[in-house]
Amino acid sequence: MGQLIAITVFGLIALGFGATVFRTSSMVRSALALLGSMVAIGLMFLTLEAEFLGVLQIMMMAGEMTIMAIFMVMYMMDPGGLGQMDMSHQKRFSKAAGVVAFLAAAAMILLVDWGDTVDEVPAPDVQVHNLGLELMGRSLLIFEAAGTSILVAMIAATAVAIARRE
Amino acid sequence: MTVLIVALIVGAGLFGIGLYGALSQTNMVMIMMGVELMLGASMLNLVAYWRYLHPEAYDGQVFVLVVMTVMAVEAAVGFGIATGRFRDKGSVEMEEAVDLKG
Amino acid sequence: MTLTTLGLIAPLIAAALILSLRRWPAAIALLGVAIAGVVAAVNVARVDDGASISGSFGGLPGHPLWIDVTPLTAALALTVVTTGFLVLVYAVGYMAEYRDHVRFYSQMTFFIGAMQLLVLAGDWILFVATWELIALASYLLIAFEFSDRSAGWAGTRAFLTTRVSDLGLYLGVILLINEAGSIRIPAGVEAGGDNASIAALLLLVGAMGKAAQVPFQRWLEEAMAGPTPVSALLHSATLVAAGVILLVRAFPLFSPNVLIVIGLVGGVTTVVTGLIALQEGDLKRMLAASTSSQLALMLVAIGAGSWAAAVVHLVAHAAMKSALFLGAGIFQHARESTAFDDLRGIGRGQRKAFAGFAVAGLALAGVPPLVGFWSKEAIVTVSIEAGHAWLFASAALAGTALTGAYIGRGLRLLWFGESEHESPAGLSWMLAGLAATSGATVVLAAGVRPFESYLDAHIPIHVATVVLSILATGLGLAGGWLVATEERRSVLEPIDAVRARLTGLQQPLVIEPALRLAASCDRVDTWLQRRVESVGSASLYLSGLVQRVDDRDHAGVEATGRAAMSTGWLTRRTDDDGIDRFIAWIVADVRKLGGRAREIQTGLISRELAYSAAAVVVLVAILLGAGWS
Repeated sequence: MGQLIAITVFGLIALGFGATVFRTSSMVRSALALLGSMVAIGLMFLTLEAEFLGVLQIMMMAGEMTIMAIFMVMYMMDPGGLGQMDMSHQKRFSKAAGVVAFLAAAAMILLVDWGDTVDEVPAPDVQVHNLGLELMGRSLLIFEAAGTSILVAMIAATAVAIARRE
Repeated sequence: MTVLIVALIVGAGLFGIGLYGALSQTNMVMIMMGVELMLGASMLNLVAYWRYLHPEAYDGQVFVLVVMTVMAVEAAVGFGIATGRFRDKGSVEMEEAVDLKG
Repeated sequence: MTLTTLGLIAPLIAAALILSLRRWPAAIALLGVAIAGVVAAVNVARVDDGASISGSFGGLPGHPLWIDVTPLTAALALTVVTTGFLVLVYAVGYMAEYRDHVRFYSQMTFFIGAMQLLVLAGDWILFVATWELIALASYLLIAFEFSDRSAGWAGTRAFLTTRVSDLGLYLGVILLINEAGSIRIPAGVEAGGDNASIAALLLLVGAMGKAAQVPFQRWLEEAMAGPTPVSALLHSATLVAAGVILLVRAFPLFSPNVLIVIGLVGGVTTVVTGLIALQEGDLKRMLAASTSSQLALMLVAIGAGSWAAAVVHLVAHAAMKSALFLGAGIFQHARESTAFDDLRGIGRGQRKAFAGFAVAGLALAGVPPLVGFWSKEAIVTVSIEAGHAWLFASAALAGTALTGAYIGRGLRLLWFGESEHESPAGLSWMLAGLAATSGATVVLAAGVRPFESYLDAHIPIHVATVVLSILATGLGLAGGWLVATEERRSVLEPIDAVRARLTGLQQPLVIEPALRLAASCDRVDTWLQRRVESVGSASLYLSGLVQRVDDRDHAGVEATGRAAMSTGWLTRRTDDDGIDRFIAWIVADVRKLGGRAREIQTGLISRELAYSAAAVVVLVAILLGAGWS
């Protein structure tokens, strides 16, 4: 019961911050709202007893959103949103798309028979142990591919970003 | 069971918001935020499935790690492009970016 | 084997060098062919004891190409290369006035090299390949002055005609390879089997095309459009000889029945083309018809069962015919024409050339002791000893007599007439080539016997055949000499001269009877002349008839070529209108589609994200649908 309350509360927080991201006209605030939403998702992970993933999510997103905020300040004409500029377009289509996606997913969730659910999960330390074995065993290739793609992305991003030689 | 459904509904809502944001925003960084929200929603779904349907299979958690990687990669490349574009054009407004017009 | 390889590739390398360096073409050509000549001579000496040297290289997996050096092939190779070398020497003078030496010499050396390969080929694949190469080279050389329409057309015709008959060669070779299970020539011709006769007849068709036998003889006359050195090479040792060489190589294959067919083809051809030669108004065309006739004599020898006699005559003919053509080329340069009407009396202007020409001509006619006499006598001997002596011997004798006739006519036409001294450019080179080749007709006479024993064949000499041959030759020469008097004036000239001298003596008593005697002599002469002339004109009529028949079956051969052309045209039409239009239609539609897709591509990220979202919806719908069904 406590789990249900916790997940509902954190879910509402995540949705509220998510909505705020696109409602505020201040870019910095948007970034902080996204951080809030992501942290709420991390808390939901913790509630769902995925301790490792939850902590990871919170730490990662804290770093990423900070960087995002810095980039906002760097590249925005009006990072503070003082000019009340409207920075959006094709609003009606976007809203429709968002609502339809939500409704379709919700309908699927409610219509599908989820069958028996498992109530007990291993303790967090066992989970981490097993996840480690999984990563270093069966899923090693996937793990390595993920790592390599991050490396490639770093190199590619640097290559794209450096000033072109005249 | 209820917890699973609530978590999935939250995921669906976050996905809808993210989709709206990605489609409606004109600023490149804001578009990226929308995409991040959608990815977060999918991670939430994955964790919920793992917890309530197959806690013995750790593929679900591995998949979450992969999605996180995708987020990191997306952020890195997205910011790289934004930086390059800012150097070139002095703006990251995507309304102006029609260079790719065929 | 290394040495042989060097000799084989030397002319081909020379051709490539000429094409790439584009300078000193004559020198490189002569050097390349000379190397090949030395190697060929060494090879002849090496297989003196009847041994054979074989080597293989490259080719298909499991089926390498073979080179066989046997006494026969070595001798033929030496003939090819030597003739080629002398013709090239001659060409240095002849081609002086022509442009485009690079093309000429590269093609000539290529021709000689390919022919040498053909002669030495030890398997059917290489044989057929080189057979095609010499066809290509001859096409290029006949059409050398391609700016002249008729030359181009003559090249095309030669190519098409030999192509039609080559079908026989291809089918025959395929049959033989199938039968023997090997591509080697010796294995193929000795395997026998049920299809041996069919294969033999198919090979004969191929050989008839190349050797210009009836009914394929016409292309050879038209091939005169090429420069004279080309004709000399083409007619003596290379292109046409390939047909006879094919029959000689395939000799073990022939059953007695096939031999009779070969003999018949040769017999008919030697008479028909001999008659054509007799009434030709053009020196080079006469020589061309003569080539067909002489090759036909070789076929008669093969039909009579003695390939050795055919080879002896082939080698002798190479020397004689190249000399005749080289002489004709000098005359042609002096008068800018090869028609007999323009060449009257050229012999008096070009005495040295005429001497060479006459020696070679008399050799060809079979005057002892020149080489032609011995080779023809061998053919007559083997044909009399053969099973169907009446057929073969009469054909051989008729061929011999006709040879004498057209040579006699030609010599007379060339000697009598007005002349001034002309000296064409490059005469000394040309005379050198001519002297060497016509000298060969004398020198080779001594070599006929040793050559026969070298080939391991022994052809006896009978007094009867010697007498018969000399008789046929003499009759022919005399007949030809008389037939030549299309203008009686030339006959009466000496009599007029006598009359004039006699009147100068002013002794009427002596003059009157003498004149009367002269007049009666003249009358008898005239009467005789008329008789001979009637024989001559009858034979001329016959020749005309033969020519007409010749024209007709030539039309048949041409129709085959034309049918092939129209098939090609039809194919092109279906190509253009059917397939091409269809492809164009598809291309246009794809392009239109591309244009439409281009409009979608606005470059706006938001618009494109919306498209991808819509696409995801469609995909999910499809997946769900698939899940439910």
